[in-house]
Amino acid sequence: MLLEARGITKAFGSFKAVDDASVTLEQGDILGLIGPNGAGKSTFFNCLTGDLKATSGRVLFGGRDITDFTPELRAELGLARTFQVPQTFEGMTVLENVMIGAFLRSSHRAEAETKAHAVLERVGMSRLAEASARSLGTPGRKRLEIARALATEPKVLLLDEAMAGLNANEVKLAIDLVRDIHRSGITLVIVEHIMEVIMSLASRVMVFHQGKEIARGSPREVTSNPAVIAAYLGTRAAKAAAGHTPIELMGGPLT
Amino acid sequence: MRRLLWLSVVAAVAIAYPLLLSSPFQQRLGALVLLYAIAASAWNIVGGYAGQVSVGHVVFFGCGAYAAMGSYAKFGLSPLFGIPGGIVLAVVLAAIVGVPTLRLSGHYFSMATIAVAETMRLIVTNTDYLGAAVGLSGPTVPRNIFDLSFLSSLPYYYLFLVILAITLLITWWMANSRMGFYLRAIKDSERAARSLGAPASRTKLYAFMLSAALTSVAGALYAMMFGFVDPESGLGILISVKILIMAALGGAGLLFGPLVGAAILVPLEEISNSWLGGKGAGLTFVVYGAIIVLIARFQPGGILSLFKRRGKPGVDTGASHAP
Ligand SMILES: Nc1ncnc2c1ncn2[C@@H]1O[C@H](COP(=O)(O)OP(=O)(O)OP(=O)(O)O)[C@@H](O)[C@H]1O
Ligand SMILES: [Mg+2]
Repeated sequence: MLLEARGITKAFGSFKAVDDASVTLEQGDILGLIGPNGAGKSTFFNCLTGDLKATSGRVLFGGRDITDFTPELRAELGLARTFQVPQTFEGMTVLENVMIGAFLRSSHRAEAETKAHAVLERVGMSRLAEASARSLGTPGRKRLEIARALATEPKVLLLDEAMAGLNANEVKLAIDLVRDIHRSGITLVIVEHIMEVIMSLASRVMVFHQGKEIARGSPREVTSNPAVIAAYLGTRAAKAAAGHTPIELMGGPLT
Repeated sequence: MRRLLWLSVVAAVAIAYPLLLSSPFQQRLGALVLLYAIAASAWNIVGGYAGQVSVGHVVFFGCGAYAAMGSYAKFGLSPLFGIPGGIVLAVVLAAIVGVPTLRLSGHYFSMATIAVAETMRLIVTNTDYLGAAVGLSGPTVPRNIFDLSFLSSLPYYYLFLVILAITLLITWWMANSRMGFYLRAIKDSERAARSLGAPASRTKLYAFMLSAALTSVAGALYAMMFGFVDPESGLGILISVKILIMAALGGAGLLFGPLVGAAILVPLEEISNSWLGGKGAGLTFVVYGAIIVLIARFQPGGILSLFKRRGKPGVDTGASHAP
């Protein structure tokens, strides 16, 4: 077992954004994490990466309890992430952004630079290496997030809505990139609202609603699960929609 | 290549200055510019590169100044021997102050550093061993060369020039190492930097300690040149503010920013002081206030950032072509 969360609860005051969530991740998995807005996906994510301290519950990485580890220690162990709202280092070039990730495994500048160039090549951003990161738009920033995370040579990569704000074509390219990352042996957790992405990538899916896990299984299983449809559409709409293809209801086919 | 050319020109001007403009006033002015440039460059490591705006840096300045004068006043040694002691003192103090305060964000960090510096000034003002309000003096008559007590400003000028060069070399080396990259990343987004493995607290603390050490050297040099230190000249808040403004005006986070800022502000202050006498001090505050407003409003990157080559604009223009 590569990554495991046991009974994670995160409360903001008396409000439980994540309520007793557990998950296990095996080497080679692509776990999809879905749920309506405010379901607690990002919060759960942040508890896994150490950005937030869970109110209760444990996080294990390779069998080791990392609940009290800082984000930087978790990164060193091989846990990398992207942010839903890109946290671009705006005062740097695109290359330098990626070098920050590369510095984790190579302390020398020249070495980090070489590695960063290789990562940019891999994600198809070589052309932009010397561009100021500030000049990037949403698609560029989202891709840069992935590039930076890859440069840390992670074992597990957590993508928080890495494809939000991308157009259909960019989403296709991003899916290809994620496949390529997966093929290179990296285990993935993806939070995504775009169902087509989940359907085409995830091997398993976990559904959040109001902080709780309400379903898990294959993408097909969860999208036909009445509880899931109800969570997204409300109970009445779910009844009315019975018999229709749920994927279309959950955001519709990608245009 | 161009950089190298510029560097040689600046170095040549710096070396030739006191020989070309050789009146005592001009030489003293030159020495003061270099001295403040050392202090502002030291501040720049934590205030500019790490973006942690310390307004209490005078406390490290004071460590050096009091150690240098104390070494003579208490032990009869050359003030030079106080320098290592001052560095140790400043670094230890930086560690003690930095661990709790560097977690604070933005203004809270600045306020915490002011509080520390003012507390220290009050403590020292009330400590007889450190001369209380009168302060400590260095050797009135130099006993030998090691007392570094000269009538002319010329020897100080070249001494300061060497120390400034070393300070800038250390800064340059740091900025181009992993530490410098991490600091810049932490400044932009601490959260993202940490997620990529940058140990934010430790890196900022190291920067703070390095900055404190160099600031303490500046303090020691200052006390040696003036031959004494008292709570106002060694621990007064105005020195913190001056250092900060010089770096910000020239360009915080840029190698030569503090030097540029010092080269503009020190002459301005010295000249206005010599024209207006005692009344100049009040004016200085007004000018500094105005500069803060101007920097904040128009050029947060400082003067040098106007000349800095920016990264090429990206080709990627965003999600404008969304479906
Ligand atoms: N720092 C915080 N303080 C208080 N409440 C918070 C905080 N962060 C998140 N929340 C709340 O926790 C709930 C879960 O938020 P979270 O961002 O995890 O949802 P999400 O599933 O990622 O949603 P989205 O799809 O919109 O990204 C929301 O109701 C949110 O308002
Ligand atoms: Mg979210």
